Amino acid sequence: MDFEPLSIALKFAFLGVLYLFLFWIAVAARKDLRRNANGGSGDQTGISSGGGTARDAWLIVESSDSLDRGSRFDLFGGVTLGRSADADIAFTDRYASGIHARVYPRAGRYFVEDMNSTNGTLLNGTPVNGEIEIRDGSTLAIGDTSFRLQIDD
Amino acid sequence: MGTGAVGLSARNRELLALIPVALLLTIGFAAVFAQNDSELGNLSLSYGLYFLAICLATHIYIRIRLPQADPYLFPLMALLTAFGLVMLYRLDAELARELARDQANWFVLGLILFAVVIHFLRDYSVLERYRYTIALTGIALLLAPRLPLIGTQVNGAYLGVKIGPVGFQPAELAKICIVIFLASYLREHRELLVVGARRVLGVTLPPLKHLGPLLVVWGAAMFMLIFIRDLGSSLMFFAAFLALLYVATGRLSFVVIGMSMFMIGAWVIYSTVPHVTDRVDIWLDPYQDPGGAGYQVLQSMFAQADGGLFGEGFARSMVVIPGGTDPLLPAAQTDLIYTLIVSELGLFGGAAVICVYLLIAARGFKVALMANDGFSKLLATGLTAVFAFQAFVIIGGVTRVIPLTGVTLPLVSYGGSSILANFILLALLLLVSNRARREARDGEPAASVGAWS
Repeated sequence: MDFEPLSIALKFAFLGVLYLFLFWIAVAARKDLRRNANGGSGDQTGISSGGGTARDAWLIVESSDSLDRGSRFDLFGGVTLGRSADADIAFTDRYASGIHARVYPRAGRYFVEDMNSTNGTLLNGTPVNGEIEIRDGSTLAIGDTSFRLQIDD
Repeated sequence: MGTGAVGLSARNRELLALIPVALLLTIGFAAVFAQNDSELGNLSLSYGLYFLAICLATHIYIRIRLPQADPYLFPLMALLTAFGLVMLYRLDAELARELARDQANWFVLGLILFAVVIHFLRDYSVLERYRYTIALTGIALLLAPRLPLIGTQVNGAYLGVKIGPVGFQPAELAKICIVIFLASYLREHRELLVVGARRVLGVTLPPLKHLGPLLVVWGAAMFMLIFIRDLGSSLMFFAAFLALLYVATGRLSFVVIGMSMFMIGAWVIYSTVPHVTDRVDIWLDPYQDPGGAGYQVLQSMFAQADGGLFGEGFARSMVVIPGGTDPLLPAAQTDLIYTLIVSELGLFGGAAVICVYLLIAARGFKVALMANDGFSKLLATGLTAVFAFQAFVIIGGVTRVIPLTGVTLPLVSYGGSSILANFILLALLLLVSNRARREARDGEPAASVGAWS
């Protein structure tokens, strides 16, 4: 077997080139991943692309004229609340606007935003200006209708 | 964004990456020549150059048609093909067949098909419109091996179709059809699955009304287990489906429910269908029939152990019992090709192959992350998942992590349909990637004007 040393040399050459190649790709791919992680974040698909893990969250009806007390609404992907039939959570309330407010997740946390409603939205009794984070157990009131937020860990 | 951290554009990085791939093929062939013929001709160099030329032609095509596509996917897949070619060439002498030449032809055909798909599918959202047609095609392809006249049975499983001299494994193409269908279906029904969810005993259940697809896919997986007896594909499909469902809904509980349903179904089938019972029993205890049913998995384990850390060297492990034609490693060109790699390149060689699959999976999910619409995201996720799970099913099988089933090691195993299907898969991934990266660069979704050109 004259060619045994050659065979062994070729085997190690193969493994060496292979690992150098894989290492190069892994490093380059990692840099690529970092660069894009800082840049693009918002997309319109609503499909979670990492960041905060999406926790299950629900709005539970506390009092309402039209919704059953204790009804649960899933918050996945964000919901709109209002009197209009186009709202994800539609209810009748004299003081509610068509699309009154919206609740949406971002990076694993949940936020409420008043959609320029006529009579305003109250979070734990305080009027909502712009967007405010809502936490587990918070109460959201629109006119005579109120909801409690429940976030599961 | 055109220039990366290393100062090269995406396409130039792809070009650069193809050189070590061709070099690896050359070294591999040289080693096989040195071992078999005890001489080092310049033939291995010519093979390496042929390979490089084919890859370069594809690279130029990608450069023209998909300038923004992911730069690493094609070189990584070419590396797997090179691995396969070297291993098959090494088997040719012992099995007295011309596997490597066939495989090289399939590789070229696969790349032509790759170009054709890219040419006619610039706007891949067309796929969404024909999703039911595509789904039916997929199911028809899966059932084809059971049809009289054209179906063929291999080791108790109905995997192949034979029309005249042309053999063909339809499950390979069916996997792409089914992923396209699931991606498009889940894109549309994602919200419904989530919004109507209810909690029962602390577990979030999908709404019964929209549970239909889950049950249908679960039913199809179980059906495949019984009717086509293709354990590997059914596992691969169902796993890819759960991955898609998880990405679409963000609900781990759906995956847990799906897994439990699969476990229950699999257990029922294990205890009732003899073919499945045999496979699982052999997996649990191969020594119950070491010369018969347990032979393949036992030989696979011993051959891998022989490899040690760095392997015995190219063409130095024993595939055929000397002085006869009885195989020591049955189906070394398909099922056990990973075993052969571990035997000849050792733990490091095997780990490198797994790394290549991991890197492909990472790049595939990266494509999904960058995509800007739901269908693209789910399509890239599904294609990547099905590719990665297929590698897991066969590598897991030969290392006795799960029962050994007859799926191919993507792009490495001998087989035309596998090569063709995986290059279609690559074409779709690169199409999604090209659009996503172009939109990321331009800062806005590109207008669809001229998408048909």
